[in-house]
Parts: sequence; C-alpha cells; structure tokens
Amino acid sequence: MNGLRLTDLTVPRGARLVLDGISLAVAPGEFVGLLGRNGAGKTTLLRAALGLIPFRGHSSLAALSSDARARQVAWLPQAREIAWALPVADVVALGRLAHRDRDPVAVEAALTRMGLQALRDRTATALSGGEQARVLIARALAQDTPLLLADEPVAGLDPAQQINTMQTFRALAAEGRSVVASLHDLGLAARHCTRLVALAGGRVVADGPPAEVLRPGIMAEVFGVEGAYLDTPDGPLFQPLRSLPDAAP
Amino acid sequence: MRFPALVTLLALLCAALFVLSLLVGPAGIAPGQALTALLRDEGALTMVMREIRLPRAILAVMVGASLGLSGAAMQGYLRNPLAEPGLIGVSASAALGAVIALQTGFAATFALALPLSALAAAGLAVLLILMLAGPGGSALALILAGVAISALAGALTSLVLNLSPNPFAANEIVFWMMGSLADRSFAHVLTALPVMALGWVLLASLGRGLDGLSLGEDAAASMGINLRVLRLRLVIGVACVVGAATAVAGAVGFVGLVVPHVLRPLVGARPSRLLPAAALGGAALVLAADLSVRLVLPDRDLKLGVLMAMVGAPVFLHLIWRLRRTE
Repeated sequence: MNGLRLTDLTVPRGARLVLDGISLAVAPGEFVGLLGRNGAGKTTLLRAALGLIPFRGHSSLAALSSDARARQVAWLPQAREIAWALPVADVVALGRLAHRDRDPVAVEAALTRMGLQALRDRTATALSGGEQARVLIARALAQDTPLLLADEPVAGLDPAQQINTMQTFRALAAEGRSVVASLHDLGLAARHCTRLVALAGGRVVADGPPAEVLRPGIMAEVFGVEGAYLDTPDGPLFQPLRSLPDAAP
Repeated sequence: MRFPALVTLLALLCAALFVLSLLVGPAGIAPGQALTALLRDEGALTMVMREIRLPRAILAVMVGASLGLSGAAMQGYLRNPLAEPGLIGVSASAALGAVIALQTGFAATFALALPLSALAAAGLAVLLILMLAGPGGSALALILAGVAISALAGALTSLVLNLSPNPFAANEIVFWMMGSLADRSFAHVLTALPVMALGWVLLASLGRGLDGLSLGEDAAASMGINLRVLRLRLVIGVACVVGAATAVAGAVGFVGLVVPHVLRPLVGARPSRLLPAAALGGAALVLAADLSVRLVLPDRDLKLGVLMAMVGAPVFLHLIWRLRRTE
C-alpha cells in the first residue's frame, strides 16, 4: 500500500502521553503540512510512524521490514548531519543505499530538482547551512520513494529556496506520491500544501484543506496566534498577526 | 586520485615493503640468496627465512591491516576522526591477559600461552562491554562502557606490576607492553589468523552501514540499516582483530588513529572506501615501522610500539596543525 496509515498511535514519555491516539491516513497525491507548536509532537509523530521509536497502535510503515520500508518512505530528519567531507553528489547518492545501488539517473534527477548541479563536486560540509539542507533534501529525493516524510524541511532556507522546495514537494504529490512535512511557516503551508493537519495536546485538532484549518478558532487553539487568511488572485495568503497571551498552553 | 588507482598503489607499496622486510635482518643474508633460500631448502638460511623473517613480515601485514581497518570502522561508526580501535577497551584487556600470563609464569608453560591468555581476556572484555552497553544501537553507551573497561584493565595491569615480587618479570612485562614483532613464529600467525579473519569479514561487511551513518543514526535507520546488527558486528569485529593483534604483537598504538585520518581525503571521505584503503595503509605502515626498528638501531631491540608512537605523535600533531589552518 502506498501512502501512510496510522491507527491509534500513542507514544508515552514517562507518565505523559506525547501522542494520544493519533489516527491519520495520507493518500497518494497529498502534500500534508503537519502543524503544531514547539513540543506538540510533530517530530515524535513522524519518527513513530517510521518505527524509529517505540509506540502503541499501528503504523503501516513500521509494520514493514526495514528494507521494504526504506523503499517505501524517505525520511528527512530535522538534524542536518553530514559527518564527513563528502562531495555533494556522493551525499545525494547515499539515498540509493535503500536500493543497494548508485543509480546515476535518480541521483541526477534529485540534484536537478534541488538546483544543485553547479555544486555537485563541491565538498558538502563546506557549503552554507541552507545549501547543506538542500543537499540533504536531494538525498531524500534520490531515495525515490512513494512517500516522503520531512521534518521542518524549509527551516533556514532563503525565500526562493523555500518556495522551490515547497513546489518540488507539491510536484512530487502531483506525480502520485505523498509528502508529509512538518512546517512552522503558515504562509508557505497555506499556499503549497493540499492538506494541513494540526497537532495540540498529543491529538489531531484540525485536519483539512488549508482554508479550513487556518481559521481563527483553530489558529488560536493550536498556535495561540491571530492571523489573516486572504484569498487573492495570486492564491491564498496567510499571515500571523499577533500572539494571544491568554492562549498560552 | 581514482579509488582503484589508490588501492592498487597501496597494495604495491605493501608488496614492496613485504619483500624488503624479508631482506632485512641481523643475519645479514644477501638479497638474492635470501629469496632463493626462502623458495628452496638451503639448510640454516632457509630456516632463518621461513621460520623467522617470513612469519614476522606476515604478522606485520596482519597486525597493520587489522589496526587500520578497525580504526577506519570505529571512526566511521562514531563519525569522529579522533576515534581509534582501543576505545572499546579490548586492547587494554588483551594486554592485561598477557601481563597476568607473564606475571604468573603461565606464559612460560608453552609457546602460545601468552597470546591465548590475551585473547581470552579480550573475549571476556567484549562480553562485559556488550552487557554494559545494552542491546540498543546507541554509540554513547558503547563508548562509556569501553572507557570504563579500559580504565579497569589499565588499573589491574598497574596492580600486577605494582605487586610484582620479581623485577625480571616486571621488566619482561614492561618490554612486552611496548609492542614488537621480533621473534614471532608461524605458531603466532596461525593463532591470530582465524580470529583476525573473522574480524576482517565482520568489519568489511560494515561499508554500507557506515556510509549511511554519515547522515546520522535516524537517517541511516530509515534507509534500511539495522543499527543493532551494525554495532554488534563492529564490536565483535574490532574485538577480534584488535584482541588478536595485541595478543601477538603487544600494544601498537597510532596506526588505527593516523592511517584512516591520512587516507580519508584520498578516498573522497567515503567510509565504505576507507575500509579497504585503511587496511592496506595500516599494513604498509606497520611493515615500514617494523623495517625501521631493524634498520635504525639494529643492536638495541627498538620496540615497534615505541617507534610508532615516536613517529605517530608528531605526524598527528602536524595533521592537527594543518586542520587548524584550513578552518
């Protein structure tokens, strides 16, 4: 099965439940933005779905063998780690470890998608933080999986690269893949995601198209902010305007 | 440099140093004569070549390859260029086993008593480390367990020396600990070879996992790399090769630290490629060092481990100096 299906996913940490019975299905063609405050459990949700941490409930990914899962889903962790002074093309080719090959076509396509052709022979660790982030996204793309889970993929990118990355993810969805990305930039989420899922208190508190999720009541509950959602000829815009002091968690 | 070219070059270097190693020794045999004696039975000359020089050269290759390979594997696993194979405490434990054998006189009971005691102690240390570090895949628990075992083995070694009633035994222990390949026989080769071979196979299988770990434990796991299996193979592999190397040669430091460090830029920093390169590089370095101890001070029995530290430390300082300038 492509996509992702979570049933009653629960992750305890000590006496507290970080995630409390999350059920979520992501179909091919969807680009889901995962929203929530710092500490709301976005990363925990993605890592539990992958089976990287213990959980109760069911995840369609964690049920797979590790080899099958690696061909089903690519994971882009938040920590941008490149341990050695590897050339950019070699870092991207690491995505092919999941397939036990170094398929140059997939590597080339990933480099092109992230606009890294000019940097391909440069040493990855000598690049700027934002460039390294793009190299690591390209690595995940080179894995060439039906599903991509990304933890804050656009953090630290310049505006043009943020837009390019979001458009790339949207294009992946349009090809019939699924993308789930945790995001803090609600403006980007409004414009590029096909669907938003908001977490608060370990539960899904809103799930739907951006126009439905980015409504005042939900934004106050999830983020404690007030914002403006505008439908413009250029597409939907969302701008958080002020934080609500009484809505602190 | 292309990777196949580098590997070929290192292999040729090893071969050249191996032949040189056969040609140098206190017996002062002419090169041509030495090689014919090795191939054809010519009495005493053949004895020297086959029973003294050949096992010594083979052991240099085995020990060097083991230290280089395990150093590259440890650095790849920990993603730290300062890691070295002694870090998990196996070399200190193997040394303790050997020291106890020397102290109790067990080492004198039969030819292989000392290396076998060292191997037994190394095996015990691995079991302790695996127990302490737990079944998970975490690197930190492993290192802390290794440091603790290392410290304990070091303390017990000091205790044995401290309580040694016999200055000759203490002398013997101190000299053994300096590391050497002198006066080894084929019995040593055959004792170390099966253990080392198992370790080589285990470590050589780590390439894909170590490549994946370049992107961190989470990313590696998501690409289908089983971190528990990887860590288990690493620990047992390092224990086999380092335990066996220490058992037959004593403590030889710096090879596992310096060789991967020097070769890393030449293999494009890829951990999987560093493994074979560091094995060959380690073999070349130990062959060269073992040649040097015979050439520099032929009459004074200069110890391999001492020379390695004398050369290794300044080389390492130079590397750090260069690193600082490029940053």
